[in-house]
Amino acid sequence: MKFNFTRLNFYFYRDSTLRLLLLICCKFITFIVNFKQMEKAGRRSFLRLVMAGIIALFVLLWNRLIADHQELRKQKTQIIPFNKNKAVSFDGNYIVVNHDEQTTVFSAHCTHLGCLINKKEGDRLICPCHGSEYNLDGKVIKGPAWKGLVIIPFKITSDGNHIEIIG
Amino acid sequence: MEIISKLSANSNQKKNRTTYGTLALAMFLIVVVSGILLAVPFDVKDPYLSITGFVVSNPWASLIRNLHFWSAQFFLILSLIHLYDHYHYKENTGLKKGISWRLSLGVLIIFLAMLTGFLLKGDADSLQARQILDTLAQRIPLVGNMLAYTLLGDPDSYQLIYVHHIATFTVLITVVMLEHSRRFWPTMGDFLISLSAVLLLSFLFSAPLHDNLNPTVKGPWYFVGFQEILHWLSHPEWSLLIFLVVLILIYEVNAGSGRAVFLCKKSLLIFAGIYFLLTVTGLFFRGEGWKWMNPWDTGYRYSVLHNFKSPRVSFSPGFNLKDAAASPVVMGRKESCLVCHKEPHGFADAHKPEAIGCFSCHGGDPFATSKKQSHRSLILIPGDLAQADQTCGTTQCHPDIVQRLPTGLMATLSGMISVDRYVFNEQNNPDELTNIHDLGNSAADIHLKNLCVRCHLGNPKTTYGPVNEMSRGGGCLACHLNYTEEAEWDLKRNPDTLLNFHPSVSLKITDDHCFGCHSRSGRISTSYQGLHETTLEAGQMPDSSNYRLIEESRVFKKEPEDVHHKLGLECVDCHHSYEVMGDGNLYAHEEDQEDVQCADCHFNTNPMTVTTNNLDNESAKIAALRFGNIENRNFLTTHKYGHVLINAYVENDSVIFLTKNTGRKMLMKPPAPVCTRDKAHDGMTCSACHSAWAPTCIGCHNTYDPNSPGYDMLKNKDVKGSWIEYIGSYSPQEPALGIRTNGTGREIIPVIPGMVLTIDRASFPGSTGDSIIFHRLFAPIAPHTTAAKGRDCKSCHNNPVALGYGRGKLDYSVAKGQGKWTFEPYYQNDIHDRLPADAWTGFLTNRTGRVSTRSNVSPFDIRTQQKILTVGACLTCHDEGSAVMLQSLTDYQKVLNGRSVKCILPDW
Repeated sequence: MKFNFTRLNFYFYRDSTLRLLLLICCKFITFIVNFKQMEKAGRRSFLRLVMAGIIALFVLLWNRLIADHQELRKQKTQIIPFNKNKAVSFDGNYIVVNHDEQTTVFSAHCTHLGCLINKKEGDRLICPCHGSEYNLDGKVIKGPAWKGLVIIPFKITSDGNHIEIIG
Repeated sequence: MEIISKLSANSNQKKNRTTYGTLALAMFLIVVVSGILLAVPFDVKDPYLSITGFVVSNPWASLIRNLHFWSAQFFLILSLIHLYDHYHYKENTGLKKGISWRLSLGVLIIFLAMLTGFLLKGDADSLQARQILDTLAQRIPLVGNMLAYTLLGDPDSYQLIYVHHIATFTVLITVVMLEHSRRFWPTMGDFLISLSAVLLLSFLFSAPLHDNLNPTVKGPWYFVGFQEILHWLSHPEWSLLIFLVVLILIYEVNAGSGRAVFLCKKSLLIFAGIYFLLTVTGLFFRGEGWKWMNPWDTGYRYSVLHNFKSPRVSFSPGFNLKDAAASPVVMGRKESCLVCHKEPHGFADAHKPEAIGCFSCHGGDPFATSKKQSHRSLILIPGDLAQADQTCGTTQCHPDIVQRLPTGLMATLSGMISVDRYVFNEQNNPDELTNIHDLGNSAADIHLKNLCVRCHLGNPKTTYGPVNEMSRGGGCLACHLNYTEEAEWDLKRNPDTLLNFHPSVSLKITDDHCFGCHSRSGRISTSYQGLHETTLEAGQMPDSSNYRLIEESRVFKKEPEDVHHKLGLECVDCHHSYEVMGDGNLYAHEEDQEDVQCADCHFNTNPMTVTTNNLDNESAKIAALRFGNIENRNFLTTHKYGHVLINAYVENDSVIFLTKNTGRKMLMKPPAPVCTRDKAHDGMTCSACHSAWAPTCIGCHNTYDPNSPGYDMLKNKDVKGSWIEYIGSYSPQEPALGIRTNGTGREIIPVIPGMVLTIDRASFPGSTGDSIIFHRLFAPIAPHTTAAKGRDCKSCHNNPVALGYGRGKLDYSVAKGQGKWTFEPYYQNDIHDRLPADAWTGFLTNRTGRVSTRSNVSPFDIRTQQKILTVGACLTCHDEGSAVMLQSLTDYQKVLNGRSVKCILPDW
C-alpha cells in the first residue's frame, strides 16, 4: 500500500498531539485533585499549559484543513500529448523521454530544489536554476542535485497520441 | 546622516529627528499607497499578462509599479541599515523578550513580503522561485507541507500569495513597526525626501521583468546570495537553519546582555559581509544554468546583464492607448514592439508575430515604450551563428538544429582548411579535423583568410536584402531568408518609415541561396545550371544569350545543364537537412558528410523505406509542412547513413518523387540496363560515366604581395598585404577518372585538377622550407553535370584526359605485328616534374606520393592503365556496339582467347 507523505506527516503529528492532550488532561486532573494546594504560580503554569494545548489543537485544525483541501483539489488524471518520434518533450510538470525504444515519463522538478527543467542540450537535461544535469535515464550527471528524476507511472491512451498520468 | 538631520526642521527634538528608521517608515507608507494603486491594473488571475499589458500601454501604471518596487527595495535596505545603526553602539539594546522576538520575526516577514511581491510578477524568474520556495518549505520537518501550502496555495493560482502579500505580511510588518517605533507617521520632511528620491528613480529605472525567453533565471537580488549557498548543499533544506540562526542572533542582540551580545553582533556583521560578497557573485558572475561568467566572456550581456534591463518610463511613447490595447498577446504577454510595428506582413505561418512576437528573434527590450529604449541591444539581422542560440535556437524554438549546425562542414570549413594547409606543406595529410575559428597566421591560414573563408556560415549578414549571388554566409538566413517583391520594394522605399513588409524565414530554399558560395571552388551551382566560367573579363563578354555575367566581373558561358536541373529539381530536392546542416558528427571532407547517392533513388533492387509513423520528429514535421497529408507513406531512406528522403516514396510498385518547393510529382526511373548489365564496370560510380563535363583549370600560381591591399575574410576588414592568385586557363571538358579506395573496396570516380599549382612561398614573410612549392594534385568531384546518356566507350578507353595523361594525341598503331600505344601531350612539360601541364599521371607510369587532395584518391596505376588501354586497342577497330565488344563485357578473357590473327593487342 502506498503512503501519501502528507497523510504520514499528519498521522505522526496527530499522534504527538494526542499524547500532548493526554498529558494536559493528566495534569488537569492532578490539579483538580490538589485543588486546595494550588498557588498563584501554579495557576499561571496551568494557564500556560492550557494555552499550549489550545495552540496544539489549532495546529491540528490547520493541518486537517490543509489535508482535506488538498485532497479535494487533487486532480485525478492529467492528459498530455504524446509523440513517440520525439526524443524529449517538455510538458509543464512532466518530461516525456523516448529513448532506447522505451518511453518514460519523468517529473520535470529537479530533485535539488524543485525548479522546472526545461532545456535539453545534446542528450542531457539541464535545470536552469543551479545547473544540475540529468541523462535521458533520469540519473544525475552533474550536481548539485544527487537524486535522479522521479519516474511517473503513466498510460498511453488508445489513440496512441496522448499520455494519461494518474494521481 | 548629519545632512539629513539638518534638513529636518526641528533637528534638536528627538521625536522629529530623521533616522534610518524614520526613513524606512516613510518608505513603508509609500509602499503601501503605491501598492493599493497598483492593485487597480493588476490582475491576480493572470499576473504576467496584466503586468506586461500595463507596462506597455499605461505609463502611469508603469510608474506606480516602479514606485512600488523601488520603495520596497529601499524599505528593506533602510530597515537593515536601521538595524546596524542600533547595533553598532557599545550599549545593549536591552529590549524586552516579547518585543525582541517579534522584531526578529519581523525581519523574516519583511523578506517574505518582498518575496511574495516578487512571486506576483508571474514571469519565468518568479515561477522557478516559487518552485524553490515550495520545495524548501515542504522539507521543513513535521509542518513543512502545511506551511508550504498555506504560504503558496494551489500550484495554479496566485490568490493565496496575493492575500499574504497585501494583507498578512503587510499587517504583521505594520504591527511590529508601530510596536517599537517612536512615531506612527513619518515627518513631512522624511516623507517628501523619500518620495522625491524614489519617484525620480522610478521614472529613470523600471522594475525588472523577465521576458520569458532568456534561459537565465535568477531570484530577487536579496536572495541571490542565499542561492549561492543553496547551490553548495546537496541537502539544501539545511540552509533554512541559516535563517533560523540569523533570527536567533538578532533576538539575542535585541534582548541579551554582556559578552553574548557582542559575539552575536560580530557574527551578524561577518555574516552580512560574506552574504554581500555572495550577492555580488550571484548577480554579476553567474549566467545561464549557474555557469560562472566573466564580464569579458561572450554572451555575458545576454546571460547576466539582461537581468538589469530597466528602461525609462516614457510618457509620450509615440503610440496611442488604442493601439496598445489592440496589439496581440504573444506567448502570454504583451510586447511593446508590436504596438509601433503594427501588423507586419510577409512571414511564414510559424513565424508570424502573433505566434512568436518580434522579441524572440530580434531581441531588444519588449517592455520599453520609447524607440531608443526598445531598440537597445537589438539584433537587426538575426540568424548569425554567434547569436543563434539567442534567436533561432532558444529552447522553445530550434535548439536541436542550432546545436548541430556548427558541426557541419559549411560552418567549420574543416576540409577546405586542412587541404590548403596540406598544399602549403604545413600539414602532412589533408584529413585533420579543424575549425574556422582555429585559423592562425601561417602562410596557408593567411591565404585562406585572404581568398577563401568568406564562405562559412558563421560569416554574419550585415546588410538587409535578399540572398543573392554576392551573398556569403549569414547563419540560418543564408538558406532560409526569402524576400517577396513587396518586401524588397518596401526596403528600398524609405529608410525612415516603419516597414510593412518583412522578409520571411521559411522552408523555401532555392538554388539562389546556394549559388553565392557554391558558384566558387568546384563551381557546382553554376555547372548544375549549365554555366562554365571563362577567363574573359566583363568588358570582353560577347553580347549573346550564351553568356552570363555573374557578380559583375565573372563571365560564364553556356554548357549543357544537368539533366536534373532541366527536370526542375533544385539543390534541396536531393540534399537533405542532415547533410546540409550537419548531423552532429565532425567530418573531414565533403564527400564524408554527404549522404545522398544516385542509387538511393535510381535502383532496381528492393527499396529501403521507412513508414510515416517511424519518421524522426524533425523530418516528419518538415514533410508535413511541405506536402500536407503524409499519412501511411513509405519514404525512401539513404543507403549510406539511413536518413529519410522526405520527398521520395514508394507507392504500389512505383517510386514517386516530389520537388520540395513546388510539389511537382515525378516518377523515378530505375537505372538503364546498360548500367547494370555487366560486371566489367562494377567499380564505376554513376557520375564517372554520366558527367557531361567538369570545369578543369591549370596553371595556377600563388604569390604573396606585402604591399597589396588585401582583405581578412574572417574579421571582415581590410588588411595590408595579400596572397594573389594567378590563373592559367579554364576549360569545360569530360573529367579525368581516378580511383577512390574506401572501406568497401575501390571505386572509379571523376576527378579534376585541384590543385596543379605553384606557390611562391618565399614571398610570404617569415616562411621556412622550400621557396617555391609545386604540387600536382587532382581532387574528387561530383560535377553536377549529369547527362541522361553516359559517356561512350572511347571517351574513357581511348581518351588521354580520362586516363589522367592530359590532352594530346593518344594513338594505337600496329607495326610489324606489334601493337603500341603512343602519347603526344598537347601541353608542354612542367619544369617541376616533367609532366604535361594538365596531366595527373605520366603516360604508362605509376604516380604515388602527394597526388591528390585526399589520402584515398589516386590515379590509375600502370596495370589498370594497361587494362583500360587494352580495351581501347580493341575499340580502335571494333565499334562499341559490335558483338565482340558486347561479349567482352561479360567475359573479356574468353573474347581475348578467341581472337583472330588480325587482332594485335598491345604487348605490355
